[in-house]
Amino acid sequence: MKSAVTTVISSADASARFPTLSDIESVKGSFDRAASRLEAAEKLAIHIDRFTSESLDYVYGTQSYDQANKDKCARDINHYLRLINYCLVTGGTGPLDEWGIAGMREVIRAHQLPTAAYIEALTYIRDKVNIPGDMNQQAAAEFKTLLDYLINALA
Amino acid sequence: MLDAFSRAVVTADSKGTPIGTTELASLRRYVADANKRIDATLAITQNVSCIAADAVSGMVCENTGLTQPGGHCYPTRRMAACLRDGEIILRYVSYALLAGDPSVLDDRCINGLKETYLALGVPLANAIRAIEIMKIATVAIMTETNTGRKMFEGINSGSGADCKDIASEAASYFDRVISALS
Repeated sequence: MKSAVTTVISSADASARFPTLSDIESVKGSFDRAASRLEAAEKLAIHIDRFTSESLDYVYGTQSYDQANKDKCARDINHYLRLINYCLVTGGTGPLDEWGIAGMREVIRAHQLPTAAYIEALTYIRDKVNIPGDMNQQAAAEFKTLLDYLINALA
Repeated sequence: MLDAFSRAVVTADSKGTPIGTTELASLRRYVADANKRIDATLAITQNVSCIAADAVSGMVCENTGLTQPGGHCYPTRRMAACLRDGEIILRYVSYALLAGDPSVLDDRCINGLKETYLALGVPLANAIRAIEIMKIATVAIMTETNTGRKMFEGINSGSGADCKDIASEAASYFDRVISALS
């Protein structure tokens, strides 16, 4: 699983050297940003069900999509938010890349689910994050970066 | 290879739940102790050759037959291989310590080590003794209970007494190697 620390260790190991000062500096950099990431992960874990249901009610309330897909879409949005929670913890996009994005479009198409609905739901979540009600400013910035990453991958 | 963060992710994913407040508490502790972790890693990397050389010398002093003709550290080529292996084990311990997770040590160092040593005719009891001495030396340097230069004068985490927990984590990684060879 790729994270700031494992990337540094892999490259150090590839050249059989001990962690150098610059390796340690880059690990330290990821620790310095960790507080807001972990804050975002914690708040997302608390609000995950509410984010999912609110965004789905909004998207399927517009009557532009087949209501029969709503439950499947809710399950998937919840799944993606969980992967974003993992990404916030590791500090990289590893979990989303490996478990959420590889092969995703093919699977969604095969089930004839509308990717547009997913994008709308994720965009709704991104735009409706309540600062500071849901999470603080820096945490929300970390969260939104990952939402944007996922939206771009789906689009 | 995992670190403390990705270990939490893999564990949570197997249950299909997001990482919540309880799991985050231990990760927050890991982040809060980051400076100690970094200093402890530096304590190894800055003293590698000292730790490895002392350990191998100690092993030989306790068993002088090793460097006599017919001994396992004779001729010097085999003694050099011994020193090299000491440094390799220290390197993987330093990776595991930085990551806060033993998976890199398990996958890339311990896995197959005993079989390799058996095939090469390396005496396991002596190898274990050298690793024990490395463990003692590393813990002493991290907690500043060593004689000679003190590690933490004027750098991040204050004093060696504060590094007791991280030193016992490092000791647990050496113990992993020892138990794998036993």
